[in-house]
Amino acid sequence: MFILTKIADLVQIAPDDFRKQSHVAIEDNINAKYANKVVQKIGLCICLWDILWTSEGLIGHGDGMVNVNVEFRMVVFRPHKGEVITARIVDQSPEGINLATDFFDDIFVPWTELPEVSEFEPSDNIWIWKEEDQVMYFDNNEMVRFRVIAEEWHDQTPSKPVEEVEATEESPVPANAKPPYRITGSMAGPGLGCCLWWE
Amino acid sequence: MKILESQNALLSNYEVYQHIIDQRKRNKAQNRRVPANAHQIMTEVVTYLSAKPSPLEKQEETQAYSAAAINRLFERIREANLPSELTKSELLSILNQRPSSTALLSTAIEDMEERFSDEDQNRIVDIIAEVLGRDETDEGGEEDEMDADVAPTVENGR
Repeated sequence: MFILTKIADLVQIAPDDFRKQSHVAIEDNINAKYANKVVQKIGLCICLWDILWTSEGLIGHGDGMVNVNVEFRMVVFRPHKGEVITARIVDQSPEGINLATDFFDDIFVPWTELPEVSEFEPSDNIWIWKEEDQVMYFDNNEMVRFRVIAEEWHDQTPSKPVEEVEATEESPVPANAKPPYRITGSMAGPGLGCCLWWE
Repeated sequence: MKILESQNALLSNYEVYQHIIDQRKRNKAQNRRVPANAHQIMTEVVTYLSAKPSPLEKQEETQAYSAAAINRLFERIREANLPSELTKSELLSILNQRPSSTALLSTAIEDMEERFSDEDQNRIVDIIAEVLGRDETDEGGEEDEMDADVAPTVENGR
């Protein structure tokens, strides 16, 4: 679920951070830049693991910033394909179920990946699983186990403005509505689905 | 920014949990403030890892996970002479999930039905429960007593 990624980056320490010890200033700088952010094709960065190497600090011309080249390792959330992890049900629709963990929200289980003979109950807006006369509910806020089957990456680089605006009938979806990192999961299989079912 | 190695190592949930807890202790001792974004996600990760059904839920009290316990688990599994060896990622999943039944074990092990007999599957589940402990259900107290009864017979059997 978590991995270590080795990164090299230039860290700039501003003069008002000079009161800190250098390793503290470097660590805070890296955490401020990376923590809780998605790096494309890498994953969601959690926090610094360790600093492997640093260069001498160099002061550039014009400002008082100290420039240090640093090699470090980050703790990154990147479940591999086939891995089973737990998450909470946040929202359901005829298309499937949206899941979230406390720190990561973009997990989706399409209806095709729900256990066989699952039905959507439009009146309650929930999915139910019918297994041998037993009816089991995917209640919101329930903890579930799911298998990671795919991941999607959407670069968040701003795109240039669209010139012609003719998309009145197709409600224009802004490009940044797509999450940077989205996991598609499956709940079809033994041991998967609501944790309560398997206790 | 340059990515030198996108996957330098795999971490178990326990290692991440312990790293964040250690950092918190250190920051408190040295009176350091973490950037807000880092503080937020570290808190959220610890909340996730110490909420049911995570096996680290009661780690603070039980300390069931430790480097020694993890080594012991791997050793016990190796000693069990399973017909097919568990891969690294399967062992990692077992550590992270601590499966308490064969149905849950099947989520951690690929093609479990074909590779292991029912007996072997039960043995793996027993080893996991013995080394890493198990969830306390309502009859938790009784189960613990049963464990105490069962453990010596297993040893005598050897």
